[in-house]
Amino acid sequence: MSGKFTIGSEPVMGLPTPSKKRDYRVTNRLQEGKRPLYAVVFNFIDSRHFNVFATVGGNRVTVYQCLEGGVIAVLQSYVDEDDESFYTVTWACSIDGMPFVVAGGLNGILRVIDAGSEKIHKSFVGHGDSINEIRTQPLKPSLVVSASKDESVRIWNVHTGICILIFSGAGGHRNEVLSVDFHPSDIYRIASCGMDNTVKIWSMKEFWTYVEKSFTWTDLPSKFPTKYVQFPVFTASIHSNYVDCNRWLGDFILSKSVDNEIVLWEPKVKDQSPGEGSVDILQKYPVPDCDIWFIKFSCDFHYNAAAIGNREGKIFVWELQSSPPVLIARLTHAQSKSPIRQTAMSFDGSTILSCCEDGTIWRWDAVATS
Amino acid sequence: MCRQDSRVRLSAEEEMEAEESLSIYCKPVELYNILQRRAIRNPSFLQRCLRYKIQAKHKRRIQMTISLSATVNEVLKSQNLSPICIFLARLVSNVEYLAVYRFSRGCVLDSSAGVEGSTQIQAHFILPEINKLAPEAKSGSLAILLVSWVGVEIPLGTNLSKGSLDPNLLPSAGGGYCFWGKIPLESLYMSWENSPNFSLGQRAEIMTTVNMNSCFSKLSCLNEDKCISVQLPCNPETVTTLQQVQVTISAEEMGAKEKSPYNSYICSDIPSSSLSHIIRLRAGNVIFNYRYYNNKLQRTEVTEDFSCPFCLVKCASFKGLRCHLSSSHDLFNFEFWVTEEYQAVNVSVKTDTWRSEAVADGVDPKQQTFSFCSKPLRRRRPKNLVQNAKHVHPLVLESELPSGVCELQDKADDAHSSKGDKAYFSGVSSATPQSYADPDCVQSISGSNLAPSTMLAFAKTRKLSIERSDPRNCALLRKRQFFHSHRAQPMALEQVLSERDSEDEVDDDVADFEDRRMLDDFVDVTKDEKLMMHMWNSFVRKQRVLADGHIPWACEAFSRLHGPDLVHNSALIKCWRLFMIKLWNHGLLDARTMNNCNVFLEQCQSQDLCPKS
Repeated sequence: MSGKFTIGSEPVMGLPTPSKKRDYRVTNRLQEGKRPLYAVVFNFIDSRHFNVFATVGGNRVTVYQCLEGGVIAVLQSYVDEDDESFYTVTWACSIDGMPFVVAGGLNGILRVIDAGSEKIHKSFVGHGDSINEIRTQPLKPSLVVSASKDESVRIWNVHTGICILIFSGAGGHRNEVLSVDFHPSDIYRIASCGMDNTVKIWSMKEFWTYVEKSFTWTDLPSKFPTKYVQFPVFTASIHSNYVDCNRWLGDFILSKSVDNEIVLWEPKVKDQSPGEGSVDILQKYPVPDCDIWFIKFSCDFHYNAAAIGNREGKIFVWELQSSPPVLIARLTHAQSKSPIRQTAMSFDGSTILSCCEDGTIWRWDAVATS
Repeated sequence: MCRQDSRVRLSAEEEMEAEESLSIYCKPVELYNILQRRAIRNPSFLQRCLRYKIQAKHKRRIQMTISLSATVNEVLKSQNLSPICIFLARLVSNVEYLAVYRFSRGCVLDSSAGVEGSTQIQAHFILPEINKLAPEAKSGSLAILLVSWVGVEIPLGTNLSKGSLDPNLLPSAGGGYCFWGKIPLESLYMSWENSPNFSLGQRAEIMTTVNMNSCFSKLSCLNEDKCISVQLPCNPETVTTLQQVQVTISAEEMGAKEKSPYNSYICSDIPSSSLSHIIRLRAGNVIFNYRYYNNKLQRTEVTEDFSCPFCLVKCASFKGLRCHLSSSHDLFNFEFWVTEEYQAVNVSVKTDTWRSEAVADGVDPKQQTFSFCSKPLRRRRPKNLVQNAKHVHPLVLESELPSGVCELQDKADDAHSSKGDKAYFSGVSSATPQSYADPDCVQSISGSNLAPSTMLAFAKTRKLSIERSDPRNCALLRKRQFFHSHRAQPMALEQVLSERDSEDEVDDDVADFEDRRMLDDFVDVTKDEKLMMHMWNSFVRKQRVLADGHIPWACEAFSRLHGPDLVHNSALIKCWRLFMIKLWNHGLLDARTMNNCNVFLEQCQSQDLCPKS
C-alpha cells in the first residue's frame, strides 16, 4: 500500500498508545438474553431523547434509557413473531416528531415501530434478502436508507411507506451491501460499501423531485414510480476485503474493512464525469484484533471521536479531528471478552455503550481525569 | 380422430349452425369428466366389473389340457365301467386308508365332450400362474384324480361341478367301487418348470401312464363342499390294477402374451364407402358416428380398446361398452351394430331429455356458477378488499373482461364468497366475488361477451380447458400477493387484474437518465451530437420503433415532434440531417421521406424567423 503514494501523501498512521485525555469506567453491564446483539444506537434525531438508545438481537428490539449513575432503564421491548433475526436499527421520526425505531434483519423487511404509541407503524417489503444496515437522514428524518444482502440500497419514506429509490444495477454493488450512510450536509449524497470491497458514492439529485413527491403521495405506495439509480457517482477500491462500515466525516469518509484499521480518505469526485475520480487516503486508525466482519464503529454527535470494539471485547476510542490520529482511550474489562458488534457514543461522548456477541451491553462512562 | 363426412357441402352460416348443433356433444363432456374423476376412487359397479374383466384378461394363467385316447372309454364301457371322470382335487385328510379329496371342478371324459372327429377326449383346467402355483404344488396336496366307477352310468353332459349332484347318480350313498388313478401335481409342476418350451410361453406336453387301482370311493357334494373320499383296501394284494391309462397333459401359459395391437389384421374387404384409407382395425376399435344438424350430418370417431368416447373409460368388450353407454350416458341414443369388419355405434341426441334441463335462452348453463353453502361462512375480510372497496365499481363496469367466470370449485373456498347459506345462480360478472359493496350487480349477465368458441374439444384434449383457462387464471390471480417485478413492491389487486402488461416495467425517466449517462462516457463526441443521440434514443424507445420498415415513419415523426426545437440549434439540425443521410445510405430511409422531413424543417425555420402572430 505504501508504494502507491507520492511523497507527502502517505496516510498518517495513528499510534496505539492512549493519550488518556479522557478516561472511561464501566458503570453497568446488562445481559439481554443469550443471542448476539448486533446493533446499538442512540437517538440523535430527537434532542429530547438523547439518552435513549435501542438494541437489536435475535427477534427482539429493545429501547432503553441511560440514567444518572450508570443506571440503564428498560423502556420498551418489541418482539417479532416470525423467525426474524434483526441486524440493524436506527431512530427516525414522523412528520410530527413522533420517534420511530426502524429495524431490519434477516427477513429483509424493515419494521417501523412507533415508539410513542408502542405500535408497529409500517413494514416495508421489497428487499430480496436480509438487511444489513439502516440509517436515517438527519436533515430529513423521515427518510431512511437501507443496505441489503440483495446488493441494493433503497431509500424509504417512513411517513408514507414508499420505496422512493433503488440504488443497484449495472454500476451497483456486486455483493452484499454492508453499510450505508447519508452525507451530513449534502442531502443528495450517500455512501455505501459492501462485500465487493468497494465504497460507492451515489447521488439522488436527478430524482430529488420524486423524493419530495413521496411526502405528498396519497395513492397506494406500490403505485409510486420508484426509480432506479444504476450508476454511482464514484466507486472507490480502497480496501482489499469486505468493507463493513462507512461513515461520512464531512466530505471525507471513514471506512473499515477486516484488516484491523479504520481508514479516513477523501473522495475526489468529478460530478460532470461520473466514474472518474480519485481517492486520497488521509489517515489510518489501527484497531488490533478487529478482523472479523460485521463490526461497526460509531461517533458522537459532533464527530469528535469514534468508538470501535474488537473481537476481544476491547473498545478503542479515537479522536477524529486531529492529525496525527490520537487514541483517546482503550477500554478493557476482564469480563468483556466477547466480540463487540457495535458501539454507541452518546451525544457528547461521555457515555459509550457496546453490544456483544454474547448478548451483553456494557456501559462506560467518562470519568474526570486530571 | 374425428372425420367429417365430406359428402354434404354447407354454406358458411349453415356451417355455424352445424357446429353449434355438434357442440351438443361437447357440453356433457365437462360433467362426465367430473364424474369420472370421482369414479377413479369410487367406481360404479359396472365400471368395476369391466375393470376386473380387463384385469383378468391380462392375468397370467396356465391352461392345462388332459387328454386320453377315446378308445379308453370304449374299453371301460365294455367292462361296465363309467367313463373316466377327472378331478383336480386337493387332499384334505389322509387318515389310515381313507383319503378325502376336495375338488371344485370335475370333468367327465366322454367321447362327446371331445372335439368331433378327434381321437382324443380332453378336459381343460385353469391353473394359477406358475409362480403362484409353486407353493401349492410343492405341498403335495394337489393331485389330478382319474376315477371310473363300477356299474354306474353317467349320462352325457353331467356337470360334476354343479352344487348338488344327483344322488341317483351314485347308487349308494355310501359310495361304490371304482378304479382310480392319481397324478400328483408336484411332478407336473417340476416338469413344467424344467421345460424350456413352457418357460418360453409355449405349450409343454407330458405323457404319462396312470395305474388305475380298485378301491372304494364315495362322492359327496354338499353345497360348496365337494369331496371325494377314497378308501384304499386294507389288503394291498386285493388291489387289482385295471389297466394303465395313457394320459397326455399339455400346459400353456395364457394371458401373458403381449397383445399385439395388430391382432386381427384385416387386409381385404375394407368397405371403401366409409373409410377412405386403410385403417388397421384392431380388436378393440369401435367406430362412433355422431349425427347432428337434425341428423343431416354425421361425424365419425374411432376409439381403441373399447373406450367410451365421452368419459374415456375402457370397457372390456363390446358388450361392456354397450352396457356402459346405456347406463352412464343417458343423454344420447345409441345403436349398436357389428359387422365382420368393424364394430360401430351410432349416436344421436335424445331430444326429450335435453329439453327437461330448462335453460334460459341465450344463457349458457356452462357459464353459470352455482354455489350452495349449507352452513354460513364466516366472513373473512382480507385487508386488501377493505382497501380496494372503492375500486369495486370500476371493476364491475368493466364487464368486458373475458375472464368473468369463477370456478365451480373455487366458489366454496373463496374468501370473497361469504354470502351465507344461499344457493343462487349468479350471473356472469367478475364483480360477483367482490360484491360486498354492491349486491345489485350480482344479477347482471354478460354472457354474450363469451362468444361460444366451443370447438370439438374432445377431439383433442377432452377437457374444455381452453375455455376455462381465463376464469381459472383470474381466480388464481386473486389468491396470493403479487409484486412488481423491478421494485419488489406489493401490487394492488386492481393492478394485477388490469389489462396493463407490467412485465417489463421500463421506467422512461430512468432509461433516459441512463442513456444520457452512458452517452456521456463518450469522449470523442460533441455535446450536440450527444444530445442528438439522446433525443433519438429516447424517441425510439418511447415509440417502439423496432423494425427497419418503421424508420421512414420515425424520421418524419421525429422531425415533426422536435422540429421547432431543432431549428433553434443549428448544430443540432445539422446532426439530424447528417443522421438522415446516414439512414438513407443504409437504405432505411427513402428519398421522398427525407425530402418531406427537410421541407417541414424548412417550414419550421421560416416560421421561426418570422413568427406569425
